[in-house]
Amino acid sequence: MDRNIAPALQPISALDLREPQIFKIGENTEVHWISEVPNNTCRVELYFDAGTIKGERGRSSFASHLLLSGNEFLKSSDIHHRLDSLGAFHDIGLAAETSVVSLYALKDKMPKALNVLAEAIAKMSCEEKEVKEMVADRKQRFMVNLQKTKFLAQREFQKRLFQSNTAYAQVAEADYYEDVKREELIAFHQQNYLKGLYKIAVVGSFSKEQLNEMLVPVISFTATNLTPRAKELQNTPGRTHIEKKGALQTAIRVGRTLFNKNHPDFIDFQILNTILGDYFGSRLMSNIREDKGYTYGIGSMLAEYKNTGYFLIATEVGKEVAEATIEEIKFELQRLQTELVREEELSLVKNYLLGQMLKSADGPYNLMDLHLSVHSFGKDFSYYNEVLQHLHSITPERLRELAQMYFNWEELTVVSAG
Amino acid sequence: MIQFERYTLSNGLRVILHHDPTTPLAVVNTLYDVGARDEDEGKTGFAHLFEHLMFGGSKHIPDFDAPLQNAGGESNAFTSNDITNYYNTLPKENLETALWLESDRMLSLAFTPKSLEVQRNVVIEEFKQRYLNQPYGNTWLELRPLAYKTHPYKWATIGKEISHIENATMDDVKDFFYTHYHPANAILVVAGNLNITQTKKWIDQYFAPIEPQIKKVRQLAREERQNEFREKDIHDKVPANAFHLGFHMCDRLHPDYFASDVLSDLLGRDKSSWLYIHLKKEKQLVSEISAYLTGSLDPGMFVISGKLNEGVSFKQLEEALWEALELFNAKQISKEEFSKAINKISTGKEFQEQGILNRAMNLAHYELLGDAEEINKELEYYNAITPQQIQRVGQDILRKSNCSILRTHAQKN
Repeated sequence: MDRNIAPALQPISALDLREPQIFKIGENTEVHWISEVPNNTCRVELYFDAGTIKGERGRSSFASHLLLSGNEFLKSSDIHHRLDSLGAFHDIGLAAETSVVSLYALKDKMPKALNVLAEAIAKMSCEEKEVKEMVADRKQRFMVNLQKTKFLAQREFQKRLFQSNTAYAQVAEADYYEDVKREELIAFHQQNYLKGLYKIAVVGSFSKEQLNEMLVPVISFTATNLTPRAKELQNTPGRTHIEKKGALQTAIRVGRTLFNKNHPDFIDFQILNTILGDYFGSRLMSNIREDKGYTYGIGSMLAEYKNTGYFLIATEVGKEVAEATIEEIKFELQRLQTELVREEELSLVKNYLLGQMLKSADGPYNLMDLHLSVHSFGKDFSYYNEVLQHLHSITPERLRELAQMYFNWEELTVVSAG
Repeated sequence: MIQFERYTLSNGLRVILHHDPTTPLAVVNTLYDVGARDEDEGKTGFAHLFEHLMFGGSKHIPDFDAPLQNAGGESNAFTSNDITNYYNTLPKENLETALWLESDRMLSLAFTPKSLEVQRNVVIEEFKQRYLNQPYGNTWLELRPLAYKTHPYKWATIGKEISHIENATMDDVKDFFYTHYHPANAILVVAGNLNITQTKKWIDQYFAPIEPQIKKVRQLAREERQNEFREKDIHDKVPANAFHLGFHMCDRLHPDYFASDVLSDLLGRDKSSWLYIHLKKEKQLVSEISAYLTGSLDPGMFVISGKLNEGVSFKQLEEALWEALELFNAKQISKEEFSKAINKISTGKEFQEQGILNRAMNLAHYELLGDAEEINKELEYYNAITPQQIQRVGQDILRKSNCSILRTHAQKN
């Protein structure tokens, strides 16, 4: 055995992607379901048309935090007690275009747990005491966040990135916590939760009858009509700095509005993005962390909205090397615009992405997430055949062409806080 | 039920194989029985700094990550006060690549000066990012030395201070490697969609030739029983007053460990727990409160922490908190409360064991504790707990003379 020589690589087995079942309940609610689960776990996700773009002055966030706050007769602690007694966990994920309520339980407990959750949402009445308590908690959390350079940078970045659209550019402000009106929250809840359920994703080994019966309590939430999402967003290029006294690190955000899976350049751009900053051996990590030691981590990503998307580079670095880091980011972007990526690096990234695809399809939960990530854009798993084709055929020239199209420094929004 | 096969190589390396035909992946998880508790008090943060260096090239392979990525895989690691754990996930077809890489860095590192220099800086930035440049980030740097006077749990994994990391030399690195990184000090778990016969052949081929070494006997200073209430007040530029109470508790293998875990769940796991209801929903003193265990192998800490509401004083909080704890300890919990905690634990465990990587890590962890088979008995142990035991453990742990409190006072600008 010669330890200097790497074992020969073997061809990786084909992806085994079976489409989840999709059917409708109520008028406008799609159910996505995976029933092949090799254990007793179960997850139900309820997608409400109640994202941050729907509520002004933080209303969507406030409303999401009141979902389990109960009413005069059914106290929030009773609701939590019931869910906890069933061994259920829940969380609420609020994004720009959606609010997702997720419930996790063992499958024999899920029907009861979902019933408790649905009843809580249906009967929530924005009790004065609960509203007051929630607003005070949120305010405290906001004040804590304001101490984080990462939060300050992200906040300013969002404002400048989506400057063309006030709903998307909206970020929390201190005065939002001062004049919260109960009636507005009730109206928001009625409009966007009680008539806002547009998608349900279930992972759990039930029979179809069991599933149908289990979903009865949420049918009444079915969406009446979906809010139109932004067709296009346009970032404001240029550099902004937020000064924070005493900070030891500077948080940096660099990015621009871009596109989603429905754009013909998306797949190839993802490959370019991986090379730039989306794995441990990426250009940004190799240069800024592994060569210079400026940071604990740096990465880039492409985030998608219904009709559009954006590209982002994020890092936190020592205050004294903040400017040097921005220069290095610029250098790496320009290097991709001028030099061709070497075959060796490209082939490594292709192999890495193949492995990542297997990983992202491993097990029913990952498979559901993978399915939703294409279905939301009107596609099915055949999309991944396209990805395989692109991985096979992409060339260094094509990558350079994309970098020249999308990595022009003067088109990027650059924010630092520290 | 997690099934596995277990054996030991002649050089002392413990091996566990876990087959799961449903995944296209394989995982190689290597746990080294070394953590921050094994550091010299003048050179803290070393186990963790060392973890970073393990990616800086080994004896025959200049770069750890690239060959793994080229095989479609990825890797990471973590260090705690007790252990250092390295893990690789990759397509099952390329398992051999991970075994080749992992065995070479067990054999010997490359010890390049550049790697040490860069990773020192990276770790210093990590120190800043996680502990110094975060509101309340210094909590554990303060609470540990308040609660522990002799045991090395008195410093955090990241280290006591940045200068310890700045001063790390190549000789320190080599010493650390030769003392702690050898087969008898490691547990190798290979999990996933495995061809068991082939996997064993590879393990034999790559790991068996590594020279055996004698495992160092750990002799750590025992923490003396605490007999006085300890308090520390710090003033920071944070928006809200925060509190952390650390109570000494048993070690991980003690028969009371699981009862302590249930106790912490009942007191402060979720929004129907005792302290949440009493101090937040009823008395409106706190914005958040929770109770949890540090989960360490040597005698650990039972922690209650939270933030005060605007206008509430520490005195008000502490009076109400001690009263609530006393009230809790005065009675035995009901069957209903107990089964609530157990249900939640069962759900958590089943979800946690869903992923192949978690299963591999847990197997290694249980084997370190003495027997990987214990992983399948955990729920039995939880179910065997009695209300009397919880009450006794509560009365034993939640005493003022067993408590160290850290008060973080908000300093208004």
